[in-house]
Formats: sequence, structure tokens, C-alpha cells
Amino acid sequence: MTEEQNVLLKVENLKKHFPVKGGIFGNKTLQHVKAVDGVSFEVMEGETFGIVGESGCGKSTTGRTILRLLEPTEGNIYFQGRNLAELNNSEMRTLRKDIQIVFQDPFASLNPRMRVRDIIEEPLINFGVADRKERERRLLEVADQVGLTPAQLTRFPHEFSGGQRQRIGIARALISKPKLIIADEPVSALDVSIQSQVLNLMRDLQKELGLTYIFISHDLSVVKHFCDRIGVMYLGKMVEIAEKNRLYDKPMHPYAEALLSALPSPHPLKKKKRIILKGDVPSPSNPPSGCTFHPRCASCMDVCTTDQPTLQAVEDQHAVSCHLYTEAGKKSVAAGEPV
Amino acid sequence: MVQRVLEVDKLKVGIKDDGEKIAIVNGISFYLHKGETLGIVGESGCGKSMTSLSLMGLLPPGVERHDGDVRLGDLHFKDFSKKDWRKIRGKKISMIFQEPMSSLNPVYTIGEQIMEMVLSHEKVSKKAARARALEMLKLVGIPRPEHVLDEYPYQLSGGMRQRVMIAIALSCNPEVLIADEPTTALDVTIQAQILELMKDIQNQLDMSIVLITHDLGVVAEMCDRVIVMYAGEIVEESLVVELFDNPKHPYTRGLIASLPDVDEQKEYLSSIPGVVPAPGNMPAGCRFAPRCTLAHERCNETPPLFETESGSQVKCWLFEEKKSEVVAT
Ligand SMILES: Nc1ncnc2c1ncn2[C@@H]1O[C@H](COP(=O)(O)OP(=O)(O)OP(=O)(O)O)[C@@H](O)[C@H]1O
Ligand SMILES: Nc1ncnc2c1ncn2[C@@H]1O[C@H](COP(=O)(O)OP(=O)(O)OP(=O)(O)O)[C@@H](O)[C@H]1O
Ligand SMILES: [Mg+2]
Ligand SMILES: [Mg+2]
Repeated sequence: MTEEQNVLLKVENLKKHFPVKGGIFGNKTLQHVKAVDGVSFEVMEGETFGIVGESGCGKSTTGRTILRLLEPTEGNIYFQGRNLAELNNSEMRTLRKDIQIVFQDPFASLNPRMRVRDIIEEPLINFGVADRKERERRLLEVADQVGLTPAQLTRFPHEFSGGQRQRIGIARALISKPKLIIADEPVSALDVSIQSQVLNLMRDLQKELGLTYIFISHDLSVVKHFCDRIGVMYLGKMVEIAEKNRLYDKPMHPYAEALLSALPSPHPLKKKKRIILKGDVPSPSNPPSGCTFHPRCASCMDVCTTDQPTLQAVEDQHAVSCHLYTEAGKKSVAAGEPV
Repeated sequence: MVQRVLEVDKLKVGIKDDGEKIAIVNGISFYLHKGETLGIVGESGCGKSMTSLSLMGLLPPGVERHDGDVRLGDLHFKDFSKKDWRKIRGKKISMIFQEPMSSLNPVYTIGEQIMEMVLSHEKVSKKAARARALEMLKLVGIPRPEHVLDEYPYQLSGGMRQRVMIAIALSCNPEVLIADEPTTALDVTIQAQILELMKDIQNQLDMSIVLITHDLGVVAEMCDRVIVMYAGEIVEESLVVELFDNPKHPYTRGLIASLPDVDEQKEYLSSIPGVVPAPGNMPAGCRFAPRCTLAHERCNETPPLFETESGSQVKCWLFEEKKSEVVAT
């Protein structure tokens, strides 16, 4: 990452709240699931920005809201300086060519009645590539890149294994040569060897086409391998954003620290002691007061139960949202409170 | 002798194409001891899910068992009627499916789906079944479980759906659990919690587990013994430590070498070049030979499983001299 890089995507205070319905007729909104609750970050052109965090913390919702597959409750999204919220439908459709998504659940996201070749080719048709020969050439090229044989292309999604379906989704996202790909757990269904092939492919394409990725994953070793900068999410918020090596060498947020301690070591005799977080996973519809992580935090101070910290740069390329690094928190420590 | 709770004998699963039988799983045999965790690893598309679905009598339409048998304790699977299956599934043998969305019913709430499983096996009241459902959701670490009970699958995140599946599979304390990629969608902290839960139930009830995963970290953590599959066949069977320290089959070696190492910076990961051959289009002889750097003339013939000194079994000619042949396949 260098200073001169351009910002490709800027997300500002993004929120997505889902209503929880209830009441006798199921039509009363009882409360809201705050799936994404004020997330801000920037993605530079050509970089890979990783998003990690606990299951249910809002990673997929963030990705879908950026693409406006879900309407944001609040906040702004700028792509190449244009505010996506202000685009009309047809402008948004053109823009979708530049932003593609690889969905987390390959089974649910592929149309079961379409042949695989038509699924992969569809974006080209949508974006007006009329020349059949050209489409065919692109189709065979991406199919080959993700390891699908021409014979497999005439089959239907249900005839494929989980990992093969994931590759269909990746091929579909790649075919229109987008600028930004939001890859939601793109390799989690793949075995390590294919996983390496796909990651190597994604990296090659990045170099060749100057692609930018938002890479959502819970696999910390893959994220470390593949991403330049990483955002750690907890309960709908970004709690830490840092350049990859800084994060892995010195996680600042206690949640990030716990998460990284849980990295598996791939050998049966080297079982590691993991920090298993104490306390219940809190509810995103009724998050704890103050810092939402405080009930599970080993360094919790008084101020953490009342004041919500914000994301602040504490070092070069390293921002964290935690009272251990705020003035209020430092005062608390100085007053002799146990940390 | 340790009791074998599950025995698979020359199982062949496949499809029919123009009346011609094409094998997806090509005559595999293995067993599972009581209380044991057996891992199955192998390249995407090699037939792991088809193997596990056939153990549950749940092969998708068009795919069928062509040959071989499965024994569950003293029950012969060949003789099962639909009604027998209903009694067995969930109680004697239970499965966590690879794709939660394909096995959760979109029009029923999460609570209804867990309760249905409980009510079909136990004579309990609806209220008790609902209480059990709530308890299961808590056990798998779902936040705000009281609400999620009344929500539909589409309202949950990928990892939450996977945990609901796990809750359903474990709700009736099965004797044998088939877990097909049970933790792929889960982050490490929740993965650790789920693996602990599976181990707890295993210890309490002496449950036996077949664990299918591509995550070798999970294999290292959970398994006693491991089967490596390639293109519908078993190519290696080893105790877990042996598999990591001394992988034998060239495919297994490639797999272990592809692991990303967190302590090392590499621009590209090593991988095994090429792709698995498709069912119906298998090379003659050793199926891995076209991608194998050690392939030689002998590999035009199909190797049997050879037993090595360490007790591993390897389907590769390189191990021919070392020990005598065990099973001809
Ligand atoms: N309904 C079907 N009809 C025809 N072929 C099928 C069908 N389902 C699966 N297959 C083929 O059978 C092979 C084995 O599939 P299976 O789902 O068992 O793989 P797997 O080992 O579980 O892979 P993964 O790790 O990707 O889940 C694949 O080549 C797949 O294309
Ligand atoms: N359509 C929806 N309606 C209601 N709630 C939803 C909907 N989609 C997601 N949620 C809720 O939003 C929260 C965040 O979900 P999201 O899918 O973004 O999580 P995630 O971080 O991607 O998790 P995972 O790692 O498990 O995929 C969850 O609590 C989920 O229940
Ligand atoms: Mg998700
Ligand atoms: Mg599978």
C-alpha cells in the first residue's frame, strides 16, 4: 500500500437494521436487529481489504448493502467518488458491471433451472455483450481458470459438489471483468488444494486487471495470506482496522486478540490453548451499553460500560475502537482501576 | 475387540447416463468404531458428500447405490423400508449437511424444524420439545435464541444456519453422527465451541463420528483416524498423527503441502496442478497418475491398497515392495 493510491470505495457510517416482527398478526415491529450499525472504511484501488469477525456480526450484510442488494438504513457509499444512494436504477445497473459479488451460500445463489454455462454467461448478456463468439470465448476462459471442464458447463447446479458450485459463483463474478469484487467466503467450501488454486487465480487476476477485492472470511490464515488491510467486525461495528502484519503482530482490540489466539495450528500434536470468549454472544437487537464487547472483555473498565468508543487511528495504518486507547480510558487506568 | 458401529462394504454410488452406469463413488470400504472419530478428506468433487448421503439413505434423485452394503450395528441397510429409515434417521444415525439451505425447510420456523425432529423420536409434549429446541440453540451459541426459534432460515446468517443444522442433528443424541463440513461457515471461536460440543456429546454417549472436512486443522483437532479420498476411491487410510507427519500417497502429500502457514509469508500457495477427473471420464489405471509427479509406467494399472509398516493403507504402486497387499479392489 502506498500513499498515492486512489480510494475506490468509501463506506460512511453504514447501517442496516432489520425489523423483528411480532404481535398477534406478525405485523408489529417489536425491535430491530442491528446487523450493521455504523460502519466506515475505505478500500483503495488494487488492494484487498479483508473483513473478519464472528458469525452473525454483519459481514455478509455489509457486503450486500454496499451492492444495494439490501437498501441501507443509513449511511453513504461512494464508488469512485459517486454516491451510490443517489444513482437511479439504470445507473445502478450499469455500475453492477463494475462491482460483482461471490455469494457465501453457493446453493442458494445459483438458479437451479439454469445450466451452468448460462449462469456464468448471464452477466455478459445483462451488460450487453452481444457477440456470441466473444461470450463463448470468455466463458471457456473463466471456466478453465476456475477448473471447470467444458463438459461440466452443460449441467445443472444440483449435479455439482459444494466446492464445485462455489467455483461456478466465482466464474460468474469474474466474467464481466469488474473493478471490485466482494467475495463473501469464496473459498470456505473448498479443500486446501483447490483453495490455493482459486486464491492464486484471484491474485493473478488482480495483477492482470488491477482488481480490487473485499474479502470476507472467517478463516484467519487465508485472510492473512491474501489481504493487505483487514477490518475486524464485532456486533455490527468495525472495532479495528489495520495493515495485515500490524494486526497479526499486535492486535489492539481485546476481541481481535481473542480471535487471533484461536488460530488453529495444523498439527494434531501441537494443539493450542485457545482463548474461548466468556459470556454469551450478545443479541444484535439489544446490544450491550457502552462498548458492545464489554461483557465479554477481560480488560473491561467502568467507562466501557457507559461510553461507546469510536474508531480512532492510534498508529500509522492502525485504527481501533477501544477505551484502552482513549483519553477517558487512560484516566480510568490512572485512577487505579484494575485493567 | 472394539465394536464396529458402522461398516461400509464395497459401496458403489453413481448415476445412469443413457442407461450406462457411471460411478461417482467406486467401491469403497471402511468401518467406524464405537466412540471413534473418523475423518474423510479429499479434493472437492471426489465423492465425500455422496458417500455420506448414501449412509443416510438420502441420495439425491438420479443418484443411486449400484452395489455394496452398509451395516449399522446389526442392521442391514439393504433391507430398510422408508418407515425404518424414518425411525433410524436422527436417532441411530444423524447427519449435519454440507449446505444448510438445501436441508432447512424455508417455510417452517427454526423452532418447528427442531421440534419435529424431537417429536418424531421421543414421546414428549410439544412444550417439552420446544424447551429442548431452545436449549439446543443455546448450546450451539445462537444469540437471542428465544427470537430465533420463531424466525425463518432466510433471516439467519450463513453460520447461524449451519449451527441450526447442527442443533437439529444433535437434538436426539444420535449413536452415529455424520458431519459433512460442519464448521465451514463458522469463525474459529464458534468453530472451537461447536467442536467442543461434539466432543462433549461424544464423551457422554460414546457417540461415533464420521467427520468430512477440508480443514486439516479440524482433522488435527478431532480425528483418530483419517481416510483420504480421490476421484471416488480411498487412496490412503492412516492414524491422524501419521497422516500429518508422514503422508504417503502423492495426493495426500500435495494436500498437506498446500496448507497455508500462518507463520510464513508466501505470495503464492502451493497447490496440486490440474483438476480431478470427472465421473465417467476416469483415466485407466491409477486415477491420480495424470497429476502425479511420481507417475511411472506401472501406474497404467490400478494399484490395490498396500499396507505399510506404520499400519497405514495406501493405494499407490510406490508402496508395493514395502509390504504385502491387503485387499484387491
Ligand atoms: N445429482 C447429481 N448428478 C450427477 N452428478 C452429481 C450429482 N451430485 C454430485 N454429482 C457429482 O458427483 C461427484 C461427487 O460429488 P460430491 O458432492 O460427493 O463431492 P464432495 O467430495 O462432497 O465435494 P465437495 O468437497 O466439493 O463438497 C462430483 O463430481 C459431482 O459433480
Ligand atoms: N433478511 C434478514 N432479515 C432479518 N435478519 C437478518 C437478515 N439477514 C441477516 N439478518 C441478521 O443480521 C445479522 C448479521 O447477519 P450476516 O449474514 O450479515 O452475518 P455474517 O457476519 O455474514 O455471519 P456469517 O459469518 O455467519 O455468515 C444476523 O443476526 C442475522 O440474523
Ligand atoms: Mg455471512
Ligand atoms: Mg461435499
